[in-house]
Amino acid sequence: MALMPKRVKHRKSQRGRIRGNATRGTRVSYGDFGLQALQGGWISAQTIEAARISAQQYLRTEGKLFIRIFPHKSITSKPLETRMGKGKAEPDYWAAVVKPGQVMFEVGGVSEDAAKLCFRRLAFKMPIPVKFVKRRVM
Amino acid sequence: MSEQLNVESRAKTGSINAQRLRAAGMVPANLYGHGQQPLNLQCKIDNVMSVIRHGARVVDLAGAVQDKAMIRELQWDTYGTTVLHIDMARVSADERVTVRVPVELKGVAAGSVDGGVVEHIVHEIEIECAAIAIPDKVTLKIDSLKLGGHLNADKIDLPTGATLVDDADLTIVHCVKPKEASADAGATGGEQPELIRKEKAAAEEE
Repeated sequence: MALMPKRVKHRKSQRGRIRGNATRGTRVSYGDFGLQALQGGWISAQTIEAARISAQQYLRTEGKLFIRIFPHKSITSKPLETRMGKGKAEPDYWAAVVKPGQVMFEVGGVSEDAAKLCFRRLAFKMPIPVKFVKRRVM
Repeated sequence: MSEQLNVESRAKTGSINAQRLRAAGMVPANLYGHGQQPLNLQCKIDNVMSVIRHGARVVDLAGAVQDKAMIRELQWDTYGTTVLHIDMARVSADERVTVRVPVELKGVAAGSVDGGVVEHIVHEIEIECAAIAIPDKVTLKIDSLKLGGHLNADKIDLPTGATLVDDADLTIVHCVKPKEASADAGATGGEQPELIRKEKAAAEEE
């Protein structure tokens, strides 16, 4: 099941702008290796789910996958062949707002080669360019 | 053997000047400690990256200041490729310092042979040791780790002279049964989250 908030204050949100780089969540914190966003964007709940399945199928029972983004934002869309106006449309899907530099996924308990292969599969699902990062000591 | 870091004194401070400094291939740095006046320094980025690559924690400062210093903190850019700032503390050879060092797991857990998954919970611990003998990492042997078991910080092999600052009961690693992952992707449409204000309205009606 795709991720979604349990309770929200407002059903619809304004579009907003993705400005600047991420200042938090830019380091590998839980696992040993991570996948860092190189561009800002909306990552839909469906994309996160697809990435999770792709990673789980590769990892099987080995290692642990950490998902560090959550789709908090509802994205609305108007139905096809509808005239403009008549107010804001209904929520279509949920998305996570990602800034450049955000570590989106992490993997722990596997070798570097395995983590690279896992993230390679996962990167194909992403709508933005990403890069492989390692845990830093200092 | 500690690495050498060539430093120059820095007269201009502030974020704008720091940005100009970085554009010129330098890194702003600070040196403090031992009750002396803090100093504003700058060093070449190549020199800094070389020191970091070699994993040096204690450096011999040369140039404007000739002292021994420990790298307390490094500020990295968003992508973790360039160092933005260095914080250094003066240390003497016989001084004991408190540092965070990475924990490396060694061996194959007995639990993983039985189908368990080894989860590394704490990746860094705080230890106290001599400034000139800061280890790159500490190791924890996990051969005895059984399925459902855990290993605490007191089981870590610390180098001679080093003491643990963190809680000895701190769980570093455990071995658990793997969770059954659902492989089917659910549909996003249909369900909607509960509205917080809806509850409020209902309460007011009552």
